[in-house]
Amino acid sequence: MPPKRAKASATKTDEEPVTVRADALAPTLTLAKEIYAQLAGGEIPRMRLPLRTKQNLSFHPREGVWKLGKAMGTRSARKLDGALMLLRTFYLVDFINEMSADKKTSTLRELYYISEGWDDAKFHSEDESNLLIEDLEVLCDRLREDFRLHPEENGASVIGDLTLKERNRKGIVKKFNCRDDVGDGGYSLPFNVEKEKIEFVSTGAKFVVAIECGGMVDRLAENGFDEKYNAVLLHLKGQPARSTRRFLKRMNEELKLPVVVFTDGDPWSFRIFASVAYGAIKTAHLSPYLATPSAEFLGVTASDIENYDLPHDKLSEQDVRALEAELTDPRFGTAEWRSEIELMLKNGKKAEQQSLAKYGLNFVTDRYLPEKLGEMGAL
Amino acid sequence: MPASLTIAQQLAAKQREISVAEFFERNRQILGFDNLQRALLTTVKEAADNVLDACEESGILPELTVEIAKEGEDRYRVSVSDNGPGILRKEIPNVFARLLYGSRFHSHRQARGQQGIGISAAVLYSNLTTNRPARITSKVEEEEVAHVLDLFLDTQKNQPRVVRDEVEIWDRPHGTRIELSLKARYVRARQSPLEYLRGTAIVNPHARIVLVEPDGTRLTFERASSEPPPPARETLPHPYGLELGELAHLLKASRRSTLTEFLTKDLQGVSLRAAKEALLGARLSGSAKPASVEGEPLEKLLTSLQSVTLIAPSADGLSPIGAMLIKRGLRNVLGELRPEFFAPPVSRPPRVRGGFPFMVEIGLVYGGGLPADQPMQILRFANRVPLLFQQGACAITNAIASMDWRRYGLDQKGGSGVPVGPALVLVHVASTKVPFTSEAKEAVAEDPELDREITLALQASARHLRTHLTRMSRRDFASEKFAIIQRILPRLAEKTSHLLGKPVPDLTPVITRIMDVVNVETSLVKEPGALRLPVEVTNYTPRPRVLELFLEIAPEMFGAAAFDPAPDGTDPALGRAWWTLPKLAPNGRTRLTVTLPKEADIEANDLDWFVAGVDEARLLGADPLPGDWEVRLPRTIVEAAEAAAADAAAGSAKEEGEVDYDAAEASEGVRDED
Repeated sequence: MPPKRAKASATKTDEEPVTVRADALAPTLTLAKEIYAQLAGGEIPRMRLPLRTKQNLSFHPREGVWKLGKAMGTRSARKLDGALMLLRTFYLVDFINEMSADKKTSTLRELYYISEGWDDAKFHSEDESNLLIEDLEVLCDRLREDFRLHPEENGASVIGDLTLKERNRKGIVKKFNCRDDVGDGGYSLPFNVEKEKIEFVSTGAKFVVAIECGGMVDRLAENGFDEKYNAVLLHLKGQPARSTRRFLKRMNEELKLPVVVFTDGDPWSFRIFASVAYGAIKTAHLSPYLATPSAEFLGVTASDIENYDLPHDKLSEQDVRALEAELTDPRFGTAEWRSEIELMLKNGKKAEQQSLAKYGLNFVTDRYLPEKLGEMGAL
Repeated sequence: MPASLTIAQQLAAKQREISVAEFFERNRQILGFDNLQRALLTTVKEAADNVLDACEESGILPELTVEIAKEGEDRYRVSVSDNGPGILRKEIPNVFARLLYGSRFHSHRQARGQQGIGISAAVLYSNLTTNRPARITSKVEEEEVAHVLDLFLDTQKNQPRVVRDEVEIWDRPHGTRIELSLKARYVRARQSPLEYLRGTAIVNPHARIVLVEPDGTRLTFERASSEPPPPARETLPHPYGLELGELAHLLKASRRSTLTEFLTKDLQGVSLRAAKEALLGARLSGSAKPASVEGEPLEKLLTSLQSVTLIAPSADGLSPIGAMLIKRGLRNVLGELRPEFFAPPVSRPPRVRGGFPFMVEIGLVYGGGLPADQPMQILRFANRVPLLFQQGACAITNAIASMDWRRYGLDQKGGSGVPVGPALVLVHVASTKVPFTSEAKEAVAEDPELDREITLALQASARHLRTHLTRMSRRDFASEKFAIIQRILPRLAEKTSHLLGKPVPDLTPVITRIMDVVNVETSLVKEPGALRLPVEVTNYTPRPRVLELFLEIAPEMFGAAAFDPAPDGTDPALGRAWWTLPKLAPNGRTRLTVTLPKEADIEANDLDWFVAGVDEARLLGADPLPGDWEVRLPRTIVEAAEAAAADAAAGSAKEEGEVDYDAAEASEGVRDED
């Protein structure tokens, strides 16, 4: 842990659509051996997995991220759910091995539909299949790409003075600037953002603003914020996909660009920030590979709502429960976060990023962001 | 000089007899004609009740046909015909077109109608709203032809007026039909003719009931029993329920020569000793003529009679539905909902309140197509008549709502109120005098003794429900395990073997570890000549088992039952048989068969199976042998059971304290991330 993304292997043929390391599937057969031995030995089949719960997150100071702790859970055929998940695991392993033989890949959604043919073992939702793939990542210490499974193109976009080289589907390398060579929509991220696919050439930017909503990205671009302040704008599209988080981390590490996160002011946006900066609970096994520990939260904060007198909504019951859950989430265990969450609970208010438009279209770029960035020392 | 009238004369001039029309107008609500929808229901109800009462009295299996046709806006024609004994020509006008003419008002037995208002009120309503006569067709067996009469009820004199009187050939041996036109409205809602007839069919499974609705839809409730209920016998009045006027009437009408004779023979429950005591208390002579007692001595006699020890009123005047018919009736009418459970109906023994015997009967149905998110359906009956109105004000509803149903497995907010769940309860109160909240006879009035009986009966039914639900949850648990061993494990073995290129291992040890139960499964095979009930006992535990299997069935059924193989012992008087099963290896199975005559009204789960040689927690589809059977078990079984218990204690420590990975995942709210 963490799994290192497979490097282009020496045996790779030109037909291989993705890069898969040669021994990618060996651990899946080890799993099969364990279960077979249990069955043959008269034991009830079971697997032990680290629990992916917030109580089982532990902080790793060296990497500065939250990873899975030592608490383990058991998936046993003694119960129907457990038995079904075990059976599914080996349908999945079988499918992955077949794909490997045929040199094919599949999207997560395709896998979900493939399982229609698995009878009792079929998935009831894509959530279920995604969770099992993550389980397999943890058990085998591999990435889903090693299993030839990938998400659909997510299309999170980048706008700013950043020059890249991307190897396209035909294997041709294209070089372009994410401000000057792309349309108004910016550069759309592929699901694979690793070095063999995307290389950083140069940048004139001083920092990255990761933004929750597309409308705000457009506002900043239209107001020329990226040029005026030398910023790269990254659209998170709500909870960011793995590729978005990975790309952000690469910009931060390889280009040494500081990252600020600009979201709505509500409990769900706090979670977006946490998964960007600290690592998500569900993918805590990948935190060192996905999280950007130095990312900072810009706003909208609970005090922004007061200080700027922003139009707001009342916290719903769900919002309150989410905030209370965050108070027991170790990732929000710092004094700053505690006071922020408690202030939001106390005021009972939440606000969207775009509520800043109350003071006109230029307010966010002329006043709010410069003030906030100034406070944070980013400018 | 105009003779100035005295005030008394003036008042007298204003006084006149109130016409029945006015009486009707003033009592519309009590009589059940206060709105168009209800008028139709009441008409059908009064006609249907008469049919059932007449058939019951004459021991005929009723065939009741109700046809409702639309004649115009808010106007319908109702025709109710039956196969009853028929009515003599001379009686027809009075029975159908004269209020307060009836034969049952003074009788002491349970009947649907009593006051003799019902059907004549319907005729009156028909006359008043459409100005058309009621047509009665009736034929008695002794006559060749049927009489057809058109009748009006003369609202001034409360007398029938016959406007047509003919005879007609009718192709049935006996029967009656009444046809009425009336202002009404037809709905299919809760308080509709349909609901009324459905309820009637449930508690009268000996009746065949057909309803033809205005749109032509024909609904038939087939007869589910060919035995009419035994007719309620007419009983003598009991002093506890007597009122002064009634006692006076009885004394005047008595043919007994002495008071002692009157007390002991014309009344119920009065022994010679009690009669002497009562007479002493009232300072009356036992040799006095009954008719001579009036005035103050009469009052004293009643008080004295009611204070001495009397034999409790007899329940002979009651006509309960009976447990078997409740079950059949419910099954017949609710069959299409396929309820999963019919609780054995409960019939409480008769009790007495205020001189009148009464008894409570309950039927409870659960599951199947009954709606799970709705309050329990309550079917209320008084003397076999469905009560459709005033549910909230009824003592039956209150008894249900004040019970804590949560203890019996139904949802109930705060432990009171009508519980929620896929359940239906039938409550029947039978009495020679049902306490109603009002003359409209829509709801049963509160009464501590009645309430206690209803509650006791409900509790008994609810206990059956709880047992059933516990069994079902054990079965669910077991069916989960069966799914694991039958559907999942074999494929898990197949998949892993395939991936590794190895042979599929023998799964017996794993299967028995997962199941760890002895399963007793009974099925039912209906064959042309008999009911065959094969029983399978499977040892899904990891160790060999020596088991003793016991069967208990109703002793009256035992004689007709055949067993294969022959039991190792029987006790026919108690309906018991038992077998020592061959030693069962893990995953081992043995079978035996019980055969019953095809008439046996039984289902697979009506047989009670008991097993010795395995602990209760490891037993599925049967119960452990009850301690009170006092059976001496073979030594091998006792020893095997002890060894198994010790084994279980040692083995269960493993896996304890482990966190179920999938349960932990599911409970976490991590779905909103990535």
